Amino acid sequence: MTDAVIIVLREVLEAMLLICMLMASSTAMGYRFRWMLPALALGACGATLYALRLEQISLAFEGFGQEYVNSTLLISIAIMLAAHNFLAVFQLRNLSGTVAYGPLVLVCIATVGMAITREGAEIYLYGYSYGVLAGNVTSIFSGGAIGLGIGFSMGTFFYYGLRSLARRQRLIVCCAVSLVLGASMMGQASVYLSQADILPYQEPLWDSSGLFEESSLMGELLRAAIGYEARPTLTQVSLYLGSVIVSTLAMLAGWRLRRAMESTKEGEADAK
Amino acid sequence: MKALPTRCLPPRRGRQGLLSLLLWSIAPWVYAQTPVFEIEIREHLFFPAELVIPANQKIKLIIYNRDDTPEEFESYELNREKVIVGNSQGVVFIGPLKPGEYPFFGEFNMKTALGKIIVE
Repeated sequence: MTDAVIIVLREVLEAMLLICMLMASSTAMGYRFRWMLPALALGACGATLYALRLEQISLAFEGFGQEYVNSTLLISIAIMLAAHNFLAVFQLRNLSGTVAYGPLVLVCIATVGMAITREGAEIYLYGYSYGVLAGNVTSIFSGGAIGLGIGFSMGTFFYYGLRSLARRQRLIVCCAVSLVLGASMMGQASVYLSQADILPYQEPLWDSSGLFEESSLMGELLRAAIGYEARPTLTQVSLYLGSVIVSTLAMLAGWRLRRAMESTKEGEADAK
Repeated sequence: MKALPTRCLPPRRGRQGLLSLLLWSIAPWVYAQTPVFEIEIREHLFFPAELVIPANQKIKLIIYNRDDTPEEFESYELNREKVIVGNSQGVVFIGPLKPGEYPFFGEFNMKTALGKIIVE
């Protein structure tokens, strides 16, 4: 049962952070989260499909199908989070206006759907084979429920923490969280790419496992929050920083676009 | 529809020939450089639980899962993570590593499925 608690909690933490950040950010942009239901449904369908087809996927691409799918999902999530930052800064420049609802909903659904697909597939596989097939439903599912519960309470805490901030501060914090989560996704993607030998193996740049062991509770929390890795390689660090740069550029673009739009509006008003 | 004049197209045959020649010439070299090692999962245990591999050389590790249940091969030290469904197999590239011990475990059976790679 404790195994189930840990396995579920590990998978849930990261997705929970993502979802709560997007929820808080949506409210700061003046929207409710009607994207939640379709996003969860997409995630559930994706996870089930991924889990059911995992064997075929794994054996594809000379045995590296899983790595291809996971890194594609992770990189896509990172891109979506950069898009979120673009929209958030666009809003930040002029809080009274609203950004287009469509793009925000699209970003939220895609991000959450893909995150749940990746994490949910593992939970599905574990629960189905160790719980349902092994006739161990009570133990595995109650463990899973506890894991989910812990993740959920942490998410609630995080969400209401963000909600207590004023809209401007909330948006800024959401941007920062989204920036770090995106970088963490790119870091994880690089591990899969190196595992499949698409990126070359490198010696770790440093070893901070003496400080925070990755398997410890603190290590797991840091891993979910900032993509902590005790022994990162140069590629991993570069992709992490690369993602930070891309996300920052997206924010700059959002800011400039909004300013340009405002100045044309002012120009039109002056002309009248 | 009017057919394209042939001279607009790149000399495909020549390019393909060159490409396959290049691939053929490096293929044996690539394969010769990567030794293959195998471990098995049976009853949620790894066999062998200690695998000795050469130092400073990239290896290909094939993990056969003989159980009906899935398992996740995971190692913080090796930075590897891969789900292997029941009665199937998974492959990961490892190294080149410095001499030392690199523990790994099965995430779905953290208490029993333990092992390590010993690099010599």
